[in-house]
Amino acid sequence: MISAALMPVFAAAFVASGCYATGTLALRWTRAKVDSIERIPLAFLLGAAFLHLAIFALMSAHLTFRAAWWILIGGLIIAAIRQRAPRSERRAADWTLRIVFGAITIPFTILYFVNAWAPETSPDGASYHLAIVARYLREHGFVRITTSMYADLSQGVELLYAPAFAIGRHSAAALVHFAFLLALALAIYAYGKRIGEPWAGAAAAAIVYASPVAARDGTTAYIDVAGAAIAFASFYWLEIWDTQREARILAAAGFMAGYAFAAKYTLFVVVPVALIYVFRRERRFRPLLIVSSAAAVMIAPWLIKNWIFVRDPIAPFATTIFPTPYLHTLTVQEWAAWLRRYDVKNFWTLPREVTLIGGLTQGTIGPIFLLAPLGVLALRNRHTRWLLAMGAALLATYFGNLGTRFLLPCLPFFALALCLAFARSRIMLTALVLAQAVGSWYSVLPLYANQYTWRIYEFPYKAALRLTPSEQYLGERIGEYNFLRSMEAQTKPGDRILAFAGVAASYTSREIFGSYEGAENNTLTDIFDIARYDPARPSRLLTFHFPEQQTRRIRLMLANRATAPQQWNVHELRFYSRGSEIERSRDWRLTSRPNPWEIQMAFDNSPVTRWRSYQTGEPGMYIQVDFGKSQLVDEIRMWTSHDFEWPMRFEVQSFEAGAWRKAGDSFEETEIPGHPFLGRAATAEILARGVGYIVVPNSDPSAEDLADGYETWGLKPVLHQDGLTLYKILPP
Amino acid sequence: MCACEKQPEFPVPEQRVPIEIPKALSGRILNMDDPGVERYFVGDILTEPSSSWRWAFRHPAVKIRIRTDRPLKYIVDLAVPEITFRDTGPVTISFLVNNHVLDRVRYTTPGEHHFEKAIPPDWIVVGAENVAGAVIDKLWTAPGDGNQFGFILSRIGLAE
Repeated sequence: MISAALMPVFAAAFVASGCYATGTLALRWTRAKVDSIERIPLAFLLGAAFLHLAIFALMSAHLTFRAAWWILIGGLIIAAIRQRAPRSERRAADWTLRIVFGAITIPFTILYFVNAWAPETSPDGASYHLAIVARYLREHGFVRITTSMYADLSQGVELLYAPAFAIGRHSAAALVHFAFLLALALAIYAYGKRIGEPWAGAAAAAIVYASPVAARDGTTAYIDVAGAAIAFASFYWLEIWDTQREARILAAAGFMAGYAFAAKYTLFVVVPVALIYVFRRERRFRPLLIVSSAAAVMIAPWLIKNWIFVRDPIAPFATTIFPTPYLHTLTVQEWAAWLRRYDVKNFWTLPREVTLIGGLTQGTIGPIFLLAPLGVLALRNRHTRWLLAMGAALLATYFGNLGTRFLLPCLPFFALALCLAFARSRIMLTALVLAQAVGSWYSVLPLYANQYTWRIYEFPYKAALRLTPSEQYLGERIGEYNFLRSMEAQTKPGDRILAFAGVAASYTSREIFGSYEGAENNTLTDIFDIARYDPARPSRLLTFHFPEQQTRRIRLMLANRATAPQQWNVHELRFYSRGSEIERSRDWRLTSRPNPWEIQMAFDNSPVTRWRSYQTGEPGMYIQVDFGKSQLVDEIRMWTSHDFEWPMRFEVQSFEAGAWRKAGDSFEETEIPGHPFLGRAATAEILARGVGYIVVPNSDPSAEDLADGYETWGLKPVLHQDGLTLYKILPP
Repeated sequence: MCACEKQPEFPVPEQRVPIEIPKALSGRILNMDDPGVERYFVGDILTEPSSSWRWAFRHPAVKIRIRTDRPLKYIVDLAVPEITFRDTGPVTISFLVNNHVLDRVRYTTPGEHHFEKAIPPDWIVVGAENVAGAVIDKLWTAPGDGNQFGFILSRIGLAE
């Protein structure tokens, strides 16, 4: 019992110590003069950057066995201990400040520690952040994961969770994230001290630390607080460089800027801001080269990994520039579009939403941030100007994802600017902190915020100490937890499971994936949808007649533009000569633009598969066939559906004398009567694609139909629990 | 891979053969240990999972969607436990389909019993949920907690 409770703490302390140890070695290399307070967060965060690189190397070499963690991290700790720590400047302590802010922040620290220590229940932490880590650990390194676009995002923080998870499981990872929250608060305070405003620094640190979204995020296996700490550290190193002008310090700033991208794509902006900062201070090429080179050291591995695994260095984005078989452009665009709006109807309500309510954007930053604009009162201060500039740059990326937690990187900068505006009044600073602390306390927040806002809900000390069994705690808080545990018994390792619901995938060793996170997911879901939704069936036949062509290659090209998200769907495409179908041959070569990797689905004689452009329809999209020999063709038939039926125009082209020439553009449309049942064909197709199970929640529109007629679908219910049914697909 | 490069080409894939569509089930027999069987319960059946049987109370009933108009039978496997029979003596159970009484059977001995009988076609509503139920005339009161029980249900349904 005790070891089960202490193991996560030990594992997290081991990894955090590894970060700090690595950082002390790096700090010595930088020759930076830092005081004893700032040394702690700066060493921890710089060490995290380098340790993440070392773990990246282990993952790449498929060496992430348990012994490797002990050797790597243990070795770094021993190396740091053996090397005498550089002397840090000690300054006289301000005991009034320590007592005031200590009294305010200590209760929060106890609350946070207990929450991080309790079994991990956060939505993203328990699902993809740790599920991907768990998958890497099972495979002993990186593997191509094509069913989760989250695996394509940079994972600079998750890699630090890997050794913690390997030793102490889920809550060890959350505790590592909590270490980042502590480092962030300490860094903000230290920054205030560095610029001669310790009270402002302490107040800003406490305001950020008490922020409800920082509290919730920083006590789970999310990564946003870590990203905020890393971005702030980059800025911090620039400030140190500004006073010490040592190239190695500049490199440290560059490393942190690059690590910000490695932690989270949206923090890419830290790199250009760092370059602007340096250019404003020293208008020479060399400092810029140092910063950008150091940043590249942290960024490049992630770009290369994605290039190798999914052919798109910044996957899941930019798929029109870097087309990939593993992602569908339209799906990613729709996902990104949702992130840009959530359910917020009026952007002018956002300040109130993210500071006080948090129901739509999933969390609040705390009421005091409504005063953040007052930071401009301190614009006369050079530091404030940089703080606000950096905060504004980070805020710009927020509009790519309106989730409250995406504001976290801005908070240290805006909090410091605000507190610098009141730096002359200790009473005012204390009042600001008290207001934020009281308003953010977990039992006060529900008095004014949305009851469903993402926040700390409880003080789960019994769960943290494992006095409440983890299975019970998780079963009560993760709706599908018991289902996932039972699913282990109903399936075997290697089974692949398509789920029409989000699940805490880190709590199962099976490969379970949802319907939107990858091209394969979309295709499997589409196969199912064709069987269950009438508009998706191949019920429209478009017949193209044109003058007889003697040609080897022929194209059907889209000639007009659709409005998003209308796309081009083709269930089957067949070619005819004088009324007879030209028999499909293995000599044919098929392609399309876009999405050539799925063009075979328009030529497989299956009513439940279809090629889809997965981009909004536009002129120039085509399906092309090379017959392998010259062929007479005078007719094309295209089977499509009603779910996307904008007024399509097409052009048939044949390849003659080295050029594509128009053969025709008219077609007649016929409605195909009758709706044969396609459920069995759909499940057989899904099984043929290596997926043996589906999970259907009770809330799914087809749940009742499947429950009533599972035999006709070729399914067998093998588990029903927590409102989810696990169906095994039977061989046809 | 860049958009300006030549598109990859693929051969014609294996041609799928049409899959024979299984005939729609004309009914369903519910085993009490089927995963998700609770979703068919209308009432008076213990919903907590057990082994292959569940306690039924006074008026257990299940709902079954009927998809064809083929003739159906009411089928049930039940048991009158020794322990309840000792207190209640013989019991009469009425078997109902959509609130029509199909039959009444008096069980004079404890143990397992099977009941099966054809249903008049005009009692069944095709394309909708039909309710198959039973009503017991005497309940047994557990001496410990005072809870009342009817009989043990293993299987119930409407099928060809």
